[in-house]
Amino acid sequence: MTELTISTLPAAPLHVFEIWSNPATVAKRFEATCGFALPHMGRSDGSDALRLIRFEPTVWLVEGDASALSAILSDDGAVTAIGGGIVRIRLSGKGWRTLLMEGGVFDAESPTFAAGCSAATIIDHVNVRLHVVDETTCVAFVPLSFSQGLLHFWEQAAGSLVE
Amino acid sequence: MMRIPCPHCGPRTQSEFIYERTLDSVVPLNAPTEEAMAKLFTRNNPRGVDDEIWRHTYGCRAWMVLTRHRVTNEISGCRAIGPEALS
Amino acid sequence: MINFRFDGKVYTAQAGDTLAAALLRNGIGLVGRSFKYHRPRGIMTAGIEEPNALVTVGEGGRAEPNTRATDVFVYEGLVAKSQNRWPNLSFDVGAALGLAAPALSAGFYYKTFFGSAKKWMFYEYFIRKAAGLGNAPTLTDPDRFSQRAAFCDVLVVGAGPAGMQAALDAAEGGKRVILVEQDHILAPSLLRDSQEQDAAWANATAARIRAAGGIILTRTTASGYWEHDLVTLTQRISEPGQVPTHDVAQRLWHVRAGQVILATGSIERPMAFAHNDRPGVMLSQAVRTYVRRFGVVPGKRVVIATNNDDAYKSAEALKDAGAQIAAILDARPAPAGANSGHRVYNNAVPLSTQGARHCLKSVQALVDGKTMDWDADLLAVSGGFTPVVHLHMQAGGTLDWNEDAQAFIPVSSRQNVTTIGGAAEPQAIFKMVPVSSPKKSFIDFQNDVTLADVDLAWAEGYRSVEHLKRYTTLGMATDQGKLSNMAALGRLAQKQGVAIPEAGLTTFRPPYTPVTMGLIAGAGAKDAGAHIRRLALYELHAAKNPIWQPLGYWFRPRAYPISGESLAQAALREAKAVRNNVGMTDVSTLAKFEVSGPDAAAFLDIICATTISKLAVGRGRYTFMLREDGIVFDDGTVWRLDENRYLLTSSTGGADRMATHISYVRQFLCPHLRVSAVNVQEHYAGIAIAGPQAKAVLTALIGAEPPRHMSTVPAAIAGVPVIILAASYSGERAFEIYVDASQAEAVWVACESEVFAQGGTLYGLEAMEFLRIEKGHLVVGGEVDGRMTPHDLALDKMLNKAGGYIGASGLSRPALSETGRRQLVGLEAIAGDIPEGAMLIPSEGASPQGHVSAAAFRIVTGGSVALGQLTEGFSRHGEILIASSPTRGQQARVRVVAPHFYDAAGERYRD
Repeated sequence: MTELTISTLPAAPLHVFEIWSNPATVAKRFEATCGFALPHMGRSDGSDALRLIRFEPTVWLVEGDASALSAILSDDGAVTAIGGGIVRIRLSGKGWRTLLMEGGVFDAESPTFAAGCSAATIIDHVNVRLHVVDETTCVAFVPLSFSQGLLHFWEQAAGSLVE
Repeated sequence: MMRIPCPHCGPRTQSEFIYERTLDSVVPLNAPTEEAMAKLFTRNNPRGVDDEIWRHTYGCRAWMVLTRHRVTNEISGCRAIGPEALS
Repeated sequence: MINFRFDGKVYTAQAGDTLAAALLRNGIGLVGRSFKYHRPRGIMTAGIEEPNALVTVGEGGRAEPNTRATDVFVYEGLVAKSQNRWPNLSFDVGAALGLAAPALSAGFYYKTFFGSAKKWMFYEYFIRKAAGLGNAPTLTDPDRFSQRAAFCDVLVVGAGPAGMQAALDAAEGGKRVILVEQDHILAPSLLRDSQEQDAAWANATAARIRAAGGIILTRTTASGYWEHDLVTLTQRISEPGQVPTHDVAQRLWHVRAGQVILATGSIERPMAFAHNDRPGVMLSQAVRTYVRRFGVVPGKRVVIATNNDDAYKSAEALKDAGAQIAAILDARPAPAGANSGHRVYNNAVPLSTQGARHCLKSVQALVDGKTMDWDADLLAVSGGFTPVVHLHMQAGGTLDWNEDAQAFIPVSSRQNVTTIGGAAEPQAIFKMVPVSSPKKSFIDFQNDVTLADVDLAWAEGYRSVEHLKRYTTLGMATDQGKLSNMAALGRLAQKQGVAIPEAGLTTFRPPYTPVTMGLIAGAGAKDAGAHIRRLALYELHAAKNPIWQPLGYWFRPRAYPISGESLAQAALREAKAVRNNVGMTDVSTLAKFEVSGPDAAAFLDIICATTISKLAVGRGRYTFMLREDGIVFDDGTVWRLDENRYLLTSSTGGADRMATHISYVRQFLCPHLRVSAVNVQEHYAGIAIAGPQAKAVLTALIGAEPPRHMSTVPAAIAGVPVIILAASYSGERAFEIYVDASQAEAVWVACESEVFAQGGTLYGLEAMEFLRIEKGHLVVGGEVDGRMTPHDLALDKMLNKAGGYIGASGLSRPALSETGRRQLVGLEAIAGDIPEGAMLIPSEGASPQGHVSAAAFRIVTGGSVALGQLTEGFSRHGEILIASSPTRGQQARVRVVAPHFYDAAGERYRD
């Protein structure tokens, strides 16, 4: 069996950070305040204290302390809490890429999908957002209502991942 | 199953997308009633190339206009729609 | 040595044997009975094109009917059964009775259907019993089926020498490569024919492909070519009927390739002559495969019939193996085959065969116009080669006619696909025209179609190849005409007096070889087919053992029965508790959107058909939304939480549709607005507390006066921040509590304990439905059914007078204001219970004037009431109608009334 551990991470605050106007100015304010640039599409940046993961053209998913973000946005955007509706499932071990191909449609095996990359896709009919933490860890953000079903699907699939 | 060149995510599988309508049936907010109803109810449905609105619903959630040949499925263009596109 | 069973008897096979090879090794020539005529049939090929040797492999839920004996590799304990015979293979009643050729000629079914019904019923009995292939297993398949995606730069289909070389070149050129082969070994043709390369070359090449990062999948068939270079592969992880090592029996691959190279080779054609279907007649390359690859010699004294050079290699193989070549019948004139060292007859074509049930005894041929006979136990035939162009054609390709090979070869495609090797350059052959009697000259062996059937179809006026196919069933069996199509086309072209390319071609449809249904269902085969959406508080509900109700993908408690209550009893008790005291329920599934920004109110004024912008902070309002054509499509409530922040709720069932609608309007129609609309459906779990004691419960929970009706306050329950909305769906004083779903459990427990302390109870969807029907509240999907305008639902007074909302112009269409529209009414029973879904008729036999959309009871006082739609219903209050449901065999006499059966003045939810 391929090396793979599937675990559910504890609930944590998650927010969406949306910009609707003056993106360049907001980006400058953000970098000045947070010390890193707003990540590009399909990328993440930051640390465990504050991490932004970009899945959408105008929206970033925020992990960690979002308290400073509303002031950065001012009237150019909004921060909204969404963490209650999302379960974070961590896939650790070399087998995570193969596992994500089961019931998937996204090329998680591509070498360009590397640490710091993000992608939203559909896996076994469930809308899933992926964040590559490092070569052996990927975190999936799964809608709460589907999380038990997808966990079951992944646990079954992991049992038959034979290379 | 088509592969759709999302302007934000690159080529992705059709099952991540939802088809909305053709571009010419978009009813602007302040359209006069007659124009609005003509757009809603009178469709061209060409056997050939048309501009279609799709959304990458199960991906980046962005809207786009896809230029697709309805017989061959050849996709000759895809442009982003929405608020100021951020890079 | 491997042991296996065939029709109950134990035999032994060699490692690597197909079931066909193992049967031949054990001298078994008769393997099946034909579909229509129950003629004895043997093994004709050594590949997936096998039309005759269909068997059921495996037992119980793993039984796989219609498995080609040539496409299953024997494993220890394999169990195979022959099909389509009764009582046994050797003696078959169907064949003995002579459910005979004249009865079942081309178009039999059509003609019989058009004949008298009696005649059809007479035949049907025999046909049902006798015809058909293997039986579908009745037990559940215990195995799992996987579906997996893969991406590559180059997909190579077919690991023959050409395919392997192409895969090697691409892999070593730095490309991501997938190479697939339907056999369980690579380059199987190298074991049949020694070429420049050999098996050692294949092994070395495979190792190099893998070293370069390429993926090689054996026992894998590229079965479908779809849009944009998507190719589906079906991979057998275990053999049919075999217990898989890791639960998964098969895998369906969805491969998205940058480029596809087809090295699919060709399939040898049989020849059409009388009794060409007898066991002992075999394709020439198949004979060679059995001899060289499997070490099985299927005959001792062999006649070979050919129209090409390739069959001479079979003669060599047979000679090397010690068989005697009685004659080579070469259709070509001299000097073809002159130097072969065999007894070659030129201008020779087979006429017929003789033999017993199990074997061939002699072959008759026409040689230079004279009839000749040979004793033989094997007839190897080669009628030429048909390139495997299925995938190329599924990809939208075109074909060219190659006159030398008498074959269609792939030309171009709109997709990125190329064909190489034998499929692109088939061997040259000599064009033959069948001379034998067409009556027993089979062309489609699996569907028992003869040349005579083609002739009959022609005589009856069937001209197009597509019509011919459907009339004769030619090419419609599990082999999809792999052996038969070219023979039929040749015959049709001959009849039409045109060249074959002008006769046309039937469509090549996926799958290339049969695919089991479990594979298409994938993981869903074991469940309902889709995931169930679980409530955040699922465990808490489950502990109370409720009756669950599916609602879309959601499962919600329908009622919480106690001490043996029925659903109706439990629901009525729960509803009464809400009317008399207090109840609580989980409303987490409602659609919820948090709308923020300076333009939030302006945006909501576009989405909602009611006025939002005048809402004060801390206040809420009922609202509804229209489609662009003016029809109501959803409803809910909107709450101003803060200066620039609103919470919009709408129906559970319409949640995804509403999310898409909101996004479309925001991104497409008003991208200039400074607004964010975030779907928070799952972020907030929702708890509703309703009843005369709800206010007391809330006061105890939050330690303060709860908000007035249609007001909202932030608060904390059990130390967890919550939003409290004072809204009522039940008609009682009621509150909805929204809380971050990850912290909802503590809040639910606190609410439950307070509700129970008040003597209240939990209630489910059924009670909620009773309550809202009695109150006359709408439900999306019930009263709001995609046909009703705001006026039809008596909502028009709430419309935003300023307009500007989606649907405002659609609403001005004249037809929506005409008389004669269906309108919302209440119905109360005079006699009987009102059946839900019943039609409303003024008298027996009259046309329906409306229907019952939801039926319930007066909760406290009893009596059947309902909501419905009725033509011109607003002006018909007091009329007596019949609510009739013929499908349920129920009806009731009803009085038309206003759709409010409880507290019409709305006094109960105000303080």
